[in-house]
Order: sequence, then structure tokens, then C-alpha cells
Amino acid sequence: MSRKAAVVLLAMIVLVGAMGLKTVVTAHDSGAVMMANGGAPFPTIPLPGDPAPKPKSAAPVPAK
Amino acid sequence: MPSTLGYAIWFLATLLELSVVVCAVAKQSFRRYFFLNLYMAASFLVSVGRYLVLNQFGQQSAEYGYFYFYSDTLLTIFLYFALITLYIHVFDELKAEKYVRLAAVILLGGTALFSYSVVQQSSHRMLTHFFFELSQNLYFVGLVLTYLLWGAILKLRETRTRLVQLVLSLGVYFSLFAATYALRNMFPAWQVALAYSAPILGCLLPLSWAYAFLRHSEEARLVPARLAVAAQ
Repeated sequence: MSRKAAVVLLAMIVLVGAMGLKTVVTAHDSGAVMMANGGAPFPTIPLPGDPAPKPKSAAPVPAK
Repeated sequence: MPSTLGYAIWFLATLLELSVVVCAVAKQSFRRYFFLNLYMAASFLVSVGRYLVLNQFGQQSAEYGYFYFYSDTLLTIFLYFALITLYIHVFDELKAEKYVRLAAVILLGGTALFSYSVVQQSSHRMLTHFFFELSQNLYFVGLVLTYLLWGAILKLRETRTRLVQLVLSLGVYFSLFAATYALRNMFPAWQVALAYSAPILGCLLPLSWAYAFLRHSEEARLVPARLAVAAQ
């Protein structure tokens, strides 16, 4: 195996390992996010990718 | 709006970020660790920008939210390049710079592709979601890469004090953030207690890097334990 192929393989292994680690860490997802850059307060707008809010009223029951 | 304590920690972190660049320039190491200094300089400018946007629009505004997420992605990419620079310094005697660069590009591209594949189903604010996902994923890639670099430093018996301290600081920083993140996910009730953990941890990396630039010269070497024992 050439050195370049070995480098590509190693990069892919690191990527799989990192994503696996992320999956393990976020297994009990409570909506916390990892923002490690600076001490600025976290924005209070909905996070990108958050699902649409659920309607408060109950869904109408279809008439029989 | 953040509390007085929150502002104080934020201000301290911003000052420490600036101090890293000042110490590197004073010790004539700015160009040698260019991406580390670029990351710290960008962190300082982003902190100032966030403060201005926060004061102008408020914490609940979309403007602050978008500025926060996009700037975070930019900083994470700079941090990734800083880490790759450390790899190049560690492996410079092996003449492996070409392969490190190739691996870095493939890994960054792979992470971007993975992030895109995660968000492609979401048509709503897809670009913002993509940058957010990329930033999150790059943290974990950085974490794994830092552990691998720790291993390489041990294996190669690296003795350059400053380089070792820079890498160890980064490893501790990533590890503490991942641990805090995991704790917040596992124990949502601790959110309030852990609210100040991220800003406080954000002070540790610039503090440690500033110390490394100020205290250790580029020529400083660690004495291997066996030699230290033999000399006594």
C-alpha cells in the first residue's frame, strides 16, 4: 500500500473514530451544545436544525 | 443578558487571548506558530465583535445568533489549522509535512461532507445548520487528533518544552470541554451549575499558551527522566 493510500486510510479512521465518539457523548442528548470558542454568552434563539415547535393545542379529533 | 460575573469572565478570556499574541510577538515566535496566533487574534476580534453585536441587538436577536454560530465555525477551523501546525512541528524531523497536509485536507473535507450528509434533509436554514454541524464535528475531530498527537509525542520522545506544553494544553482543553459536554447531556439538571464552566475553561487555553510563550524559549528542552536520575 502506498504512503498516500495509508494517509487517506488513516484520515478516514480518525473521522470514523471522532464521529463515533460524538455519538457516544451525545447519546443522552439534552440539547446541550459544545461551543468552546470564547466566553461570550450563548444565543437564546433556537439552535439551527432544531425541530419546529410543537403546537400547544391538542390535535382535533376527527368526527366519526 | 449575561451577569456581571459572566461579563468579567468573558473580559478576562478576551484579554488572555490578546496576551498570547503579544507574548508570541515579544518572544519572536509569531511566524513560527502562525496559525496558533491567528486563532488567538481571531478569537480576540470575534469576542469584540460579539460584544458589539450583543449590545446592539441583544442576546435573543437573530443577528447575535447568526454572528455567534458563523464566527464559532470560523474559529473552529482556525483551531483545526493550529492543531495541524503542531503536527507539522512534531513530525518535521521525519520530513512528513506533505503527508500531514494531505491528511489534514482529507479530514477537513471528510468532516464537511459528513456534516452536509447530516443536514441535507433539512431544507430550513440549511446553511446555518451546516456550519453549526461542521463546528460541532470538528471539535471531536480535533479531540481525537490531539490524543493521537499526545501519543506521537510520547512515541517520538519529543523534548521541546514549549511544543510539548502547547500540545498538552490543547489536549486538556479539548478533554475538559468534552467532559463538560457529556455531563450536560447526561445530567440536564446541572445546566445551571455548569453554565460558567465553558467560559472559565475558555480562559485556560490562552493562559497556558501565553505562559508557554513567555516562560519557555524555543531552544528549551525537557530532561528525560532516565537522564535526570543518572545525573543525580
